[in-house]
Amino acid sequence: MNLAQQLINGLVLGSGYALIAIGWTVLLGAARLVNFAHGQLYMLGAFVAWAIMQKLGFSYYLAVPLAVLTVGLLGVLLQVMMLPLVMQQNLTSLMIVTLGFGYVFTGGASKIFGGDPQAFVSPLTAASIRFGDVWFTWADVVTLVGTLILFAVLWLVLNRTRTGAIVRSVAEDPKLAQLFGINAALVYIGVFVFECAAVAFGAGLVAPRSPILTSMGFDEVILTFVIVVLGGIGSVGGSLLAGFGLGMFTALFGALVSPAHTTAAAFFVLLAVLVLRPGGLAAK
Amino acid sequence: MIKRHSTSFALVLAGLAYFVPTVAGGAPAAYTACTTIAILAVMAYGADLILSYLGEVSLGHTVFWAAGGYAAALLSVNYGWNGWATAGGAIVVAIIFACLLGLATLRTREFVFSLVTYAAAVVAMEIAFNWSYLGGSDGIVGVPPLDLPLFGWQLGGGTNDELWLIAWLLLMVTLLFIHRFRRSRLGISALMVHMNPDLATALGVDARRVRLAVFVTSAPISALAGWLYAYQRAYVGTDMFESYFLVLMLTAIVIVGRRMILGPLVGTALIIVQQNFFSIGGDGDKIVLGAVLAAILLLWPKGLVGVWDLLASRRAQAARPTT
Repeated sequence: MNLAQQLINGLVLGSGYALIAIGWTVLLGAARLVNFAHGQLYMLGAFVAWAIMQKLGFSYYLAVPLAVLTVGLLGVLLQVMMLPLVMQQNLTSLMIVTLGFGYVFTGGASKIFGGDPQAFVSPLTAASIRFGDVWFTWADVVTLVGTLILFAVLWLVLNRTRTGAIVRSVAEDPKLAQLFGINAALVYIGVFVFECAAVAFGAGLVAPRSPILTSMGFDEVILTFVIVVLGGIGSVGGSLLAGFGLGMFTALFGALVSPAHTTAAAFFVLLAVLVLRPGGLAAK
Repeated sequence: MIKRHSTSFALVLAGLAYFVPTVAGGAPAAYTACTTIAILAVMAYGADLILSYLGEVSLGHTVFWAAGGYAAALLSVNYGWNGWATAGGAIVVAIIFACLLGLATLRTREFVFSLVTYAAAVVAMEIAFNWSYLGGSDGIVGVPPLDLPLFGWQLGGGTNDELWLIAWLLLMVTLLFIHRFRRSRLGISALMVHMNPDLATALGVDARRVRLAVFVTSAPISALAGWLYAYQRAYVGTDMFESYFLVLMLTAIVIVGRRMILGPLVGTALIIVQQNFFSIGGDGDKIVLGAVLAAILLLWPKGLVGVWDLLASRRAQAARPTT
């Protein structure tokens, strides 16, 4: 095993995981909501970008922002439908509703895009860089840098701006925030749209690594969940660290033991953490 | 008096239910649909115990459902066990899995509980897919016809009209069990933990213990459904973990209304009749099922029973003089 290469792989995988998970971290932290359609939104992000490139002939660099916009708009629609349940904080029903939405997306996408695997090609994956016996592509560099920038911006917005203060106040106590004239419904919509857009952006950067299928999305939900719990629910910095940790774990486990069982292994790590420290690793 | 009447009424209804496929024309398609409805309804009753009485969302009942199916297939194909023995195996496997998963999630609630159970289902599917002992991606083929020797009688069989008797019996036993559960100490404690946790604690009910007990009680129900499903299809595969069954059980529970004893059965029947007789293609059916699940909870969170109540109260209002 080439250790330097596996560490690079872990870093790249981890930044992708963190990027896919970031929307959920914010959604859970700021709105205490869970979206089980997260994996299917990832699938939609990849397929919308692919369709824009295939059918409209647009370049990858234009297709990804358009896919982010499309999935973001879908997020507005979904959240407006769910708003009564969100305002009641009826979490049980919301979980099941998002599961239903995810199932509709799976069926709808395979009706529209067909059931065959497709090649969603990024021009960045073709360009590779080699340093001695370590090897990576420009897509890896962009994912890593893009993830770091997005996390930095998000952290600044949440902790250093008035918008961030509003979001945090709604997270803390929605009723009290409303007494102070904050429109909690608007905050919930904003946070949900961010989640949808962020996962579509993640799909734009990460999905070109392998063929895309309309049935994908389950692994993404599990990995996202592992990151969110390990990083501490709602913690932006924690989920970045957890993402890198999980990436390293996946790369090394895949190289040393078996690539087919990495999700299962990640899940058992999660179970162990939940039994030993139910609040996540970040809990005091 | 009323109680005695309702018991005999239930018995008559249960007896009549057996003749539904005959009345529906007795064609093989009718037996297939009725057997499938009975099997999937029993599967849904397992999850119903958690959703309706504990108020938690278990997304891991496909694990128990698949465990039952795999136990039936493995034990009958590899070891030649008869139906009673494989059913026992299915129950034991489901209880072991439920204890492990229940203990791991003992301190989790709400979305963490749902997510862990969901993750367990995805991971179990990956393990089954990659483990050749469980047939890997091919699954286990050639499950023999169900044989249930009983005092010299041979019950069971391989075709849907032979399996209908077993499916009907399993459904009736499940309904009786759910009925008993609702009146049992555990059922009442579960509802109390769900509706008023403070009161439950004040009365000395250990909420974690109740949750674990209900979880472990619910698993063999879904597993027995999976057990019969393996014989019905003569095959088990990783498709038993698919979200289709998960979405189906949740929809079946919420469509009529939670905590209704016949709710999951009616819900399952509506879904399967749509899919078997009014299908608009596999992808179209997915859209219908997912959309029904979302729409019911968004529009009438109490299910179709809620719509009925709403209409009844409107009618009552309209009938009232408006002076």
